[in-house]
Amino acid sequence: MRIDTYHMKPFPWLGMIVATMLVVGTLCPSQAQAQVPARFYWKTLSGTNAVPLIVESLTGNTNPFDPAHNVSADADIDATLTLMGYAKFFPLLDRAAMAAVLLPMGRISGDVTVVGRAFSESVNGFGDPMLEFVVNVIGPPAQMNIPDALRYAPGFSVDLLVDLALPIGEYDDDQALNIGQNRWYGRLGLPIIWQLGPWVPGRRTTLELLPAVWLFGDNDDYVGQTMETDPLFQLDAHLTRDLTEHFWGSLDGAWYSGGEATINGVSGEKLDNIGLGLTFGYQINDNLNLTVSYKSTINDDAPDDLRMDNLMVSFVYGWHKLIEGSRRLKDEE
Amino acid sequence: MGQSLIQFKRRSPGVTSCQPDRSGDGDMDSPRMRRPINNLKHLSLAFLAVAAMFAAFVLSADTLAAETSRRPNIVVILGDDLGFADMGSYGSEIKTPNLDSLANDGVRFTNFYTHASCSPTRSLLLSGVDTHQNGLGNMDEWTAPNQQGVSGYEGYLNDQVVTLPQLLKDAGYHTYMVGKWHLGKAPEQIPAARGFERDFSLLDGAGSYWDMTNFTAASPRSVFTEDGRYLTQLPKDYYATKTYTDKLIEFIDANQGDGKPFFAYVAHQAPHDPYHLPQEWRNRHVGEYDKGWDALRQERLRRQIELGILPSDTQLAERMWFLPDPIVLAPAPRALLGKKMELYAGMVENLDFHVGRLIDHLKKIGEYDNTIFIVFGDNGAEGTDLFKMIAGSPGSRDYLFAAINWSQTHPNAWGDPGSYVGYGPMWAQASMTPFSQYKGWLAEGGIRNALIVSGPAVKRAKGSINHGLLHVADIMPTLLEIAGASYPKSQQGSKLPALMGKSWGPLLAGQADAVRTEQDYLAWELFGNRAVRQGEWKLRWQFKPYGKGGWELFNVAKDPAEREDVAARNPEKVKALMALWDDYVATNNVILPSRSVFETLEDQLPMRVPVESGYPPLIYKRQFVPPQEMMADPKP
Repeated sequence: MRIDTYHMKPFPWLGMIVATMLVVGTLCPSQAQAQVPARFYWKTLSGTNAVPLIVESLTGNTNPFDPAHNVSADADIDATLTLMGYAKFFPLLDRAAMAAVLLPMGRISGDVTVVGRAFSESVNGFGDPMLEFVVNVIGPPAQMNIPDALRYAPGFSVDLLVDLALPIGEYDDDQALNIGQNRWYGRLGLPIIWQLGPWVPGRRTTLELLPAVWLFGDNDDYVGQTMETDPLFQLDAHLTRDLTEHFWGSLDGAWYSGGEATINGVSGEKLDNIGLGLTFGYQINDNLNLTVSYKSTINDDAPDDLRMDNLMVSFVYGWHKLIEGSRRLKDEE
Repeated sequence: MGQSLIQFKRRSPGVTSCQPDRSGDGDMDSPRMRRPINNLKHLSLAFLAVAAMFAAFVLSADTLAAETSRRPNIVVILGDDLGFADMGSYGSEIKTPNLDSLANDGVRFTNFYTHASCSPTRSLLLSGVDTHQNGLGNMDEWTAPNQQGVSGYEGYLNDQVVTLPQLLKDAGYHTYMVGKWHLGKAPEQIPAARGFERDFSLLDGAGSYWDMTNFTAASPRSVFTEDGRYLTQLPKDYYATKTYTDKLIEFIDANQGDGKPFFAYVAHQAPHDPYHLPQEWRNRHVGEYDKGWDALRQERLRRQIELGILPSDTQLAERMWFLPDPIVLAPAPRALLGKKMELYAGMVENLDFHVGRLIDHLKKIGEYDNTIFIVFGDNGAEGTDLFKMIAGSPGSRDYLFAAINWSQTHPNAWGDPGSYVGYGPMWAQASMTPFSQYKGWLAEGGIRNALIVSGPAVKRAKGSINHGLLHVADIMPTLLEIAGASYPKSQQGSKLPALMGKSWGPLLAGQADAVRTEQDYLAWELFGNRAVRQGEWKLRWQFKPYGKGGWELFNVAKDPAEREDVAARNPEKVKALMALWDDYVATNNVILPSRSVFETLEDQLPMRVPVESGYPPLIYKRQFVPPQEMMADPKP
């Protein structure tokens, strides 16, 4: 008979928190700004930091750097997009909150027709940085310490999301394709997480919804013309399920509606499109998380339909000083 | 057994006091009835006479049933590993309103002893005979080489004893059992073979509460019986505590109204680990135990003193020397260790809920007021990490089995199938407040438990507390007396061993405050540990480092926490108790085991040192704050 004092040692429990923290996909990949993957808005321990590195390969008839997804009929656009950023989790009036900045960069090329003019273009550089702020309004309080994190389960939680893109990305007013958008834009959303069943790594299931509206300022110099864009309503839905403790998958769907663009008084088409996708996530170690996903529009046969497919690989590195310190002590043992 | 002090009227079935009247107008053989019936008046009279006869017969049958049912029903509720301090009526913060209601209707006892582990206690309960004679001289799992093949050490309830349910059944009781048996699995050893008419039983000592999963690759499935048949599967929606209660209610209802009383042995698996618990019972104490075990023990002791369970000068036992003062723990281990206690509290509350269902049902069918309840835990709370013992080490057969079947280790999975949570020695000590140590050991924390008795046999003040010295083996003579049954001298030509217990009749009747004299003694031996109690004194031998590997003497009346070994100051008392020990060994054929589960413990644990409050001061030092007026910035 042996008395085990394992449970008295701090590190095993802290390690568990690390796992918890990164399984939740701290700042999981942001897609081409208009879309976010499953588990993006899961909460973690206050004080956690995260740096994402996201690489996307996109094709379609719209500029993936522009969340308005203005469709350019018969366009054929390829893009390689990288997003880097930084996020910090903190409490706000006892609620979980996150502030992040995301910087898109990459290259884009394709053939585009704008108001009867055909462009064959290729650009690269930095896009518009986006500031994001999320605060939970319904759900468990902020995870202020490790016991809170251990006891956390989202249940039914609702956040308030605010995004604001700063129009400082690279922009060439002679080109129809740009990485920067030369206008202010942003998003208001209500990320919803609905826990289905136990909150046990390996068995977690969630239904996640993100109803949001994108709001766009005018681009007064869009190939020498003015582009106005109506608000775009977007609903993302994800049914996610742990496949093992460190491996999860998600069925993804997105519906876009509105976002009618008007260029010099000539109106385009409203979006009314649906995209479907699949995501797999894997926790490589206590700090590093990998996600691979593919998403494609489905009702895209007509020339004016949004057509976009997107293969994405993301790495997210997260850390918390408590966890790192505990690891150093453990390494000394 | 002396003259019964608990009087319940017993009538033999079929014997009535109200025979149909065979005289007067109702007498069919009377001269008047032989006359021709020549008018309606006579016809009417004849009809009335027949009706009266029928009515008289029906009335007499009802009267019989009513009188027969005056013998009380008996419900023995066992909480597996339930600690002395785990019920609200014994000072716990755990909410046990139903068990407490029995305490409020009946009597609580503070000096009640079981054995140090489950199957020995159960054997004492059901046979009334010492473990070294009834087959549980050692637990089946730990029978030592020198005990194998010796009568009294079979590891199951042997056929040298007659059981309580058998005698109660012979006395006209229905006998029901639900829950954990742990007294043998072979067909001749199962509940149906040992006196229970109806049963739904887990034959193993533990297992999943959700399904038939057991702990080892060699014995992967729990074995259940229902009415004497081995089950191939469990009922739908099985959850041990709920299903046991459902089944018992079903048994009671099946025979309700036949005029016979029943004896129900409700041997709940709860709250034995693993702490399997429905989700809705898991989060009733979130964060409540982050304060740690020392604070909890202090709070429970304070309430015990307020309730009158313990004297006001009672001290807590030393914290086990290998456990830290919770003050030094970081929030994470506090929360996780606290969560284990949260789960345990949920187990106890769920147990209480289902006991409440049984009580409510008995009230609903009108049997509650005629039912004696006896409630206790079968031994001290469990402080040993059984899962570590069971699962073995990586590479072993059982480790692989555990990896497949028992690896739901995440805290949020605790309570689910596949999880195995026990709360460890720190909380076991809290469950056994104020005593020292826990299950498996012969310190008070291993063998002294809470006991509630309520019902028509109890004439003492409702809600009162008694401090008389009692033993689990007393229950058999007590219940035989209540049932109007007697203990036979022989069984199938073989002489039966004498009952070791004493009936609680005088005590329950309020005619005595104790059933033992200062000369009576109790003794225990299990796994090689030994103890004798006589009056205020207790002599104890335990393996190192829980004991000294030698005899220790405690005055458990003044020092129930066994903090001070006073053997050196009381050599005569040691000598006298040693003589009692020798008598116990000779009388019961006690064979000390050549091997023991505890034999290597000293090499596995830190060296035992005294645990003294406030030592070392280092861990209690706070940040020094200088006087404000003497503080200054560094000079340039």
